Amino acid sequence: MNNVTYFIHLFILLFVQLTILDNIQIHSYVYINIYILAIYIYPYRLHKTATLLFGFLLGFFVDLANHTMGIHTAATALLAYIRPRLILFTSNREQLEIHGEQKISEFNWFFKYILLNNTIFNFVLILCEAFSFNNVLITLVRIVCSTLVSTLFMLLYYFIALKKKQN
Amino acid sequence: MKDIIKLIIKYHFTIIFVLLEIIAFSLMVMHNNYQRTIFSSYTSSFFGAISSTVTEIKTYFYLKETNKKLVAENIELRNQIEKARVLYNESKSDSLWHSNISAEYKYIYITAEMLNAGLNKTKNYIIINKGSLHGITSEMAVCSSEGVVGIVEKTSKHFSKILPLININLRVSAKIKKNGYYGSLQWDGNDYRYTYLNDIPFHVDAEVGDTIVTSGLSPIFPEGEIIGFIESVNKKTANFLRIKVKLATDFKKIFDVYIIANTQKREQEQLEVIGDE
Repeated sequence: MNNVTYFIHLFILLFVQLTILDNIQIHSYVYINIYILAIYIYPYRLHKTATLLFGFLLGFFVDLANHTMGIHTAATALLAYIRPRLILFTSNREQLEIHGEQKISEFNWFFKYILLNNTIFNFVLILCEAFSFNNVLITLVRIVCSTLVSTLFMLLYYFIALKKKQN
Repeated sequence: MKDIIKLIIKYHFTIIFVLLEIIAFSLMVMHNNYQRTIFSSYTSSFFGAISSTVTEIKTYFYLKETNKKLVAENIELRNQIEKARVLYNESKSDSLWHSNISAEYKYIYITAEMLNAGLNKTKNYIIINKGSLHGITSEMAVCSSEGVVGIVEKTSKHFSKILPLININLRVSAKIKKNGYYGSLQWDGNDYRYTYLNDIPFHVDAEVGDTIVTSGLSPIFPEGEIIGFIESVNKKTANFLRIKVKLATDFKKIFDVYIIANTQKREQEQLEVIGDE
């Protein structure tokens, strides 16, 4: 994926997130965040510190738009931090060495990858939002629901935009 | 220094991450009302716990000073009680009978600290830090907040030597508080925690746990100062009981004592001498 396509994806993701998905409210249990796909599909070859700063700024931007100062930032910075490890953890090491990067078109890998990522992201996000360990059960339900629905929407985006482009 | 820089370069990714997370959290706490409220409630309880611990430790260091203050206050209060007692007696007394003695305090309390003690022999002694300059003379009573300690034996200018209850040469007149039978208290030289009350008639009802107090018959001790509690009663000797008394004062632990001066002691003693002649 070259830089231009990446920026187009970034723009579309943020646009959809801020204009449509942030205005969908399902029972306050479900948060749909697909803009973090921008971190998942961030070009692999770039330096990881740059990824970290990029994740931080992306979360900060969404926070500014949503008036939830710091909450998304904390979660996206964490995602950017664990991204290199998570890619190594989920993917076949030999293939990584051959291709230099993980092919997004590989559905099995991608699904595993975004599911793990979303779980971590929503865990941090919703815990930061709740900011206490009272009502842990409700918090857990919110984390699970948000993860599942976010993953669903990401898969939708994946089949519409990402998979075809790769082929 | 070189190593530190190396370490920073090696872990710069993680360090940057931690910094970014700190920034995110501070943003979160600063700009969101809900998070700020919860955060401040956590921090206030946390720092509250810390400061209360610190205060506890601090008070531990000031314990000695506090103790001194309390002893001083105790003495002050005892003197006031004495004053009140005198005033009360005066107000009660018959208007036809008047004594100028009753207008004076019978007992004066002086506080002192223990300096040195030999408590492992049969003729034990205690040295305190007040002497004749402070108005202490021989044969004054010495008590602690727990109970009777002993009697002043000798005084120098700044120090006094006390014969504690656990000295075989000391005899103190004592009575059983509940029925008033009195006898003489003498230590047997064995265990510093126990002493013996003799000369109590065998028919007297003395039970384990009864309180033994000073009798007030000798001019040294005021009446009713606690000496100890009955540990066991032995009825084997002919006509008198031998009562084992557990001392209220722990001689291995006392530090602050107070001296009780009887202002009318000389007068009482003179009268007793006259009676003898």
